[in-house]
Amino acid sequence: MDEGLTGLVLFTVAVAALSTALILVPGVAAAYALARWKGPGRGVVETLLALPLVLPPTAVGLVLLELLARDSVLGRLLDTLGVEVVFTPKAVVLASAVMAFPLLVRSARAGFEEVDPRLVAVARTLGDTRTRAFFRVTLPLAWRGVLTGALLAFSRALGEFGATVLVAGNIPGSTQTLSLAIFQRTQLGQDAEALRLAGVSVVLAFGAMYVTEVVTRRRGARGLA
Amino acid sequence: MELALRLPLARFTLEVEARFTSASIAVLGRSGSGKTSLLEVLAGLRRGATGRVVVDGRVLLDTGARVDVPPEARRMGYVPQDALLFPHLTAGQNIRFGVRAGRPSRVDEAVHLLELEPLLHRYPVTLSGGEKQRVALARALATDPALLLLDEPLAALDIALKERVLPYLLRVRDEARVPLLYVTHQLGEARALAREALVLDGGTVKAVGPADTVLGTVARGLLTGEPEENILEGTLEHPPAGGTRLRVTEALSLWVPDAPELPHGTRAAYAVPAEDILLSTGPLTGVSARNVLEGTVAKLEEAGAGECATHVDVAGVRWVVRLTHAAVRELSIAPGQRVYLAVKSSACRRLLSGSAAT
Repeated sequence: MDEGLTGLVLFTVAVAALSTALILVPGVAAAYALARWKGPGRGVVETLLALPLVLPPTAVGLVLLELLARDSVLGRLLDTLGVEVVFTPKAVVLASAVMAFPLLVRSARAGFEEVDPRLVAVARTLGDTRTRAFFRVTLPLAWRGVLTGALLAFSRALGEFGATVLVAGNIPGSTQTLSLAIFQRTQLGQDAEALRLAGVSVVLAFGAMYVTEVVTRRRGARGLA
Repeated sequence: MELALRLPLARFTLEVEARFTSASIAVLGRSGSGKTSLLEVLAGLRRGATGRVVVDGRVLLDTGARVDVPPEARRMGYVPQDALLFPHLTAGQNIRFGVRAGRPSRVDEAVHLLELEPLLHRYPVTLSGGEKQRVALARALATDPALLLLDEPLAALDIALKERVLPYLLRVRDEARVPLLYVTHQLGEARALAREALVLDGGTVKAVGPADTVLGTVARGLLTGEPEENILEGTLEHPPAGGTRLRVTEALSLWVPDAPELPHGTRAAYAVPAEDILLSTGPLTGVSARNVLEGTVAKLEEAGAGECATHVDVAGVRWVVRLTHAAVRELSIAPGQRVYLAVKSSACRRLLSGSAAT
């Protein structure tokens, strides 16, 4: 593997890992809240969270770009802090994170919904505070759903293209991931090179999905199902 | 223990006012009468209750004074009907779940008392219903609770398993000396375990007081399909001539179905249905029933359905016999009268025996 390809693969994997890490805590919190909250507004919030799954990724990218533009509230705040996001590797991570968020939430929520709230009630009578019971009962029983969600989010982030290209551009050596590189190579007519990158993508995606499959299938060991 | 509370529920408002002095209380009522909600209020798991709850001198709830102790600080040992063991932990880890450094723990005692040593490394999914209940009981007991809250702990078990678990409950009551509040819809269980009783119907208290009094009359009418039973506790004897006798007191013992497998001196409880007892105003001779007991009528009570509950004192033990109004009239039975009771040994049904068979 040549140096350029190694750098590309490492950058792509690092972006996917960072995006997943970025959404892990807010994603798990949102999933837990959705699993437990039975009141009004649940349907609207759920639909909003699912939107990035079905919207054209370029539309999501455009919204992000607008949010971060220099004349927006957020953009000005970032500007005064001296943080640049648009067309930097940070934007790649952000775009992948936003696109992967619904996958994490959906899967983690399903995990939390399988936990009987009465088990938490029992834990509380045994001296656990709400928080302690979450970490000793709820999370250990829902971890498979959370892990599956994180792996799906990681896999999704590996292949992100549409949103990324809008907020981060396609800058070789700076914001270019595998999927962006494949597009660039075909544009340049380097079909053989593009095919080679596609092959590498297949290997990466296969690895990520295979781990997800194994984790999901082991459900039921020790009777947790 | 002192209760004065109100809790609005979907179909009615639960209103309970009671004061208990003993360490074993039965809460009876049909399903949907508010029993489980009452337990949840005591455990602090149910929001929206108003009033006052005092257990063991500690105020757990006093809405007037804005006191509402959270469940983790109440020291209530909650044992739900379906055990609800943590499936990701072994039996031993379940039992130690509530143990905290620097706070009293009764893990070893609980494990020993409930004979759980061989099960400690097993996961809940591999345990039988009765074993799960024992682990749930030990888990609650291990935290040294101020009160054990038992929500129909035997309801999910079949009769054979009940007989195995009940003795453990008696041990918890008598050996571990933990106060317990026992929710059930079974008159027999309540009688075997409780000294005081509270009967709920549609969220309101129908009766409260000493178990003997409350369970004798009020509870029966409210628990459909529950026959009136006399519960007798004593030790088993095996006379040299054969057979098995239950010695209730110095002066009272009776033949029960032969149980040679239970050693002499075993503690046991039997139930005798009130309908299965014959009452006579004259001495009984030449009857096939093996037990003939002489006693005095204490009182007569209306039992509904054209029947009368006749209370008879036999050597200091209160029996209830069901008679039709016609029979009471014809025999002119009145308090203070001498009567004879005939009880077939086969009518004595064993509820539990003290040697905790595993």
